[in-house]
Amino acid sequence: MSSYSKALPILMKAPVTDDIIRFLTNATLKVLPASNYPSPPSSPNDEYQPRLPSLMTFITNLVRYTNVYTPTLLTTVCYLNKLKRLLPKDATGLPSTIHRIFLACLILSAKFHNDSSPLNKHWVKYTDGLFTLEDVNLMERQLLQLLDWDLRVSEDDLLIDLEMLLEPIREDLERSRRRRILSNTNNNKKRLPSFNDGYISPISSRPTSPNSYQQPNQKFYNLQRNVSVASNLSSSSTLIGSMNDLKRFTNVRTNSNTQLEKLNSMNDSQKRQSWDLEQVMNQYGF
Amino acid sequence: MSSSSSQFKQLEKLGNGTYATVYKGLNKSTGAFVALKEVKLDSEEGTPSTAIREISLMKELKHENIVRLYDVIHTENKLTLVFEYMDNDLKKYMDSQSTGNTPRGLELNLVKYFQWQLFEGLAFCHENKILHRDLKPQNLLINKKGQLKLGDFGLARAFGIPVNTFSSEVVTLWYRAPDVLMGSRTYTTSIDIWSCGCILAEMITGKALFPGTNDDEQLKLIFETMGTPSEATWPGVSTLPKYNPNFAQRLPKDLRMVLQPYCKENLDDNVLGLLNGLLQLNPDLRLSAKQALHHPWFAEYYQHFSPEQQQQQQQQQQQQQQQ
Repeated sequence: MSSYSKALPILMKAPVTDDIIRFLTNATLKVLPASNYPSPPSSPNDEYQPRLPSLMTFITNLVRYTNVYTPTLLTTVCYLNKLKRLLPKDATGLPSTIHRIFLACLILSAKFHNDSSPLNKHWVKYTDGLFTLEDVNLMERQLLQLLDWDLRVSEDDLLIDLEMLLEPIREDLERSRRRRILSNTNNNKKRLPSFNDGYISPISSRPTSPNSYQQPNQKFYNLQRNVSVASNLSSSSTLIGSMNDLKRFTNVRTNSNTQLEKLNSMNDSQKRQSWDLEQVMNQYGF
Repeated sequence: MSSSSSQFKQLEKLGNGTYATVYKGLNKSTGAFVALKEVKLDSEEGTPSTAIREISLMKELKHENIVRLYDVIHTENKLTLVFEYMDNDLKKYMDSQSTGNTPRGLELNLVKYFQWQLFEGLAFCHENKILHRDLKPQNLLINKKGQLKLGDFGLARAFGIPVNTFSSEVVTLWYRAPDVLMGSRTYTTSIDIWSCGCILAEMITGKALFPGTNDDEQLKLIFETMGTPSEATWPGVSTLPKYNPNFAQRLPKDLRMVLQPYCKENLDDNVLGLLNGLLQLNPDLRLSAKQALHHPWFAEYYQHFSPEQQQQQQQQQQQQQQQ
């Protein structure tokens, strides 16, 4: 594990990349593996509701708006994986449940790991109107209860949960170490003082030192970055968005059977979506 | 953690914490007193990060010198933390020992016992990768058995994983370390050790060691007693954000001369040696909590006694109590 723990600080200091966003998106999707998310057709009354962006777009926008630190973002994976272990395997949710789960994990990570962090009213703005303050406060409270307030993350947790991102850095470090040994051996044999540099390999010009772990052509998520939001939004939108919708949806389900049938008959797989985090918690005694 | 608020009867108000009001409470089912720390929730903020950290960190900190968090009751507009009840805090206790305006220190035996317990609790925090970051007499709770426990973890932080920078706006001014005052954000356990040094001196004399009114005066007071640091005594000090090359140059004073006038008992070399180890300007030179526990001043606590000696001691203590 020791070579992984050398890779960890390098990963934490690196900017947020596409790879990281993709990694987080996958980790979030795995929390509710039984859900598949066909877009439900919009019902006539919900015209004014914001459209649900794809999870990847949602995460990208949050990162863009908040300029969140890499470590804050990456530790959310520990919470996501913990949540996955806590929830039943067949747990499903509304289409927006995964968005809620990710956002709540990010909010708690920011509050726990930083001396100053955005207020919940700021987080509401970062969701582009997808969630209300009431939604955000509720999801935060639910997640705290699900995690039983235990937000501590150890280095071992990070090494396990981030292994996929650490592996290429570790390999890079290993390669540069081997080259260093090789070049030192060569130096000794051939007495070539120009190969004395410890980090820059004499064989390749690619920078492999820990401090230069940034591939120049990679897309970084800082303020200047160029992300197309609108196109993503329209390509994969669904309609059930806020907690208000969720409540409406739940009320409909309990109060009006005809509407319920209408909803359920849309798609068989929709039936499995008739869960939300709150229900999961109630059912399993959280 | 699943109590409801109806399980507790709220009694008198005990005080205002950093972000909450504390009441004495009665657990109706057990008849035991508790401390109820009530946090009003502001919907714009959500759950305060101070509460999130305090709960998350204290939940697992089970040690006899750390106030126990029994339970959390979380509703939409109120968060109640149920703590072990303690009779008093060290600040109020010291105030109660003063006569009029004349500050009076505690008896050295008691100082030693309190300071030992402070280090026991702190060493446990540091072992568990937690910085307290607000150690001061108000946050050290005591009971009638003479036990001392660390409380109020509202500013505490986990450390040891490569996460984000730390704020230098931590620790109550009088107990804030010089490196933090000069803007260091890379501090670690040494931040709490400086506070322990200030607390030890305060217990001895009954008055705060460095009672500054602002950051600049605080540093000035520290340097007047401990000397002005230089690159020679503290390599790297000049790279701190708020380091000023024009700090008034002072030589370190003898702590005995500073403290003895306010202490009736004779201060021995051991206690002054310990103080010097805690109040090192350079954070890297400060003792750790664990090292402090092994300091000769505490020899009577850690020296190995044979079972017969222990029995004898206990008998002597019992006789003393009976007298």
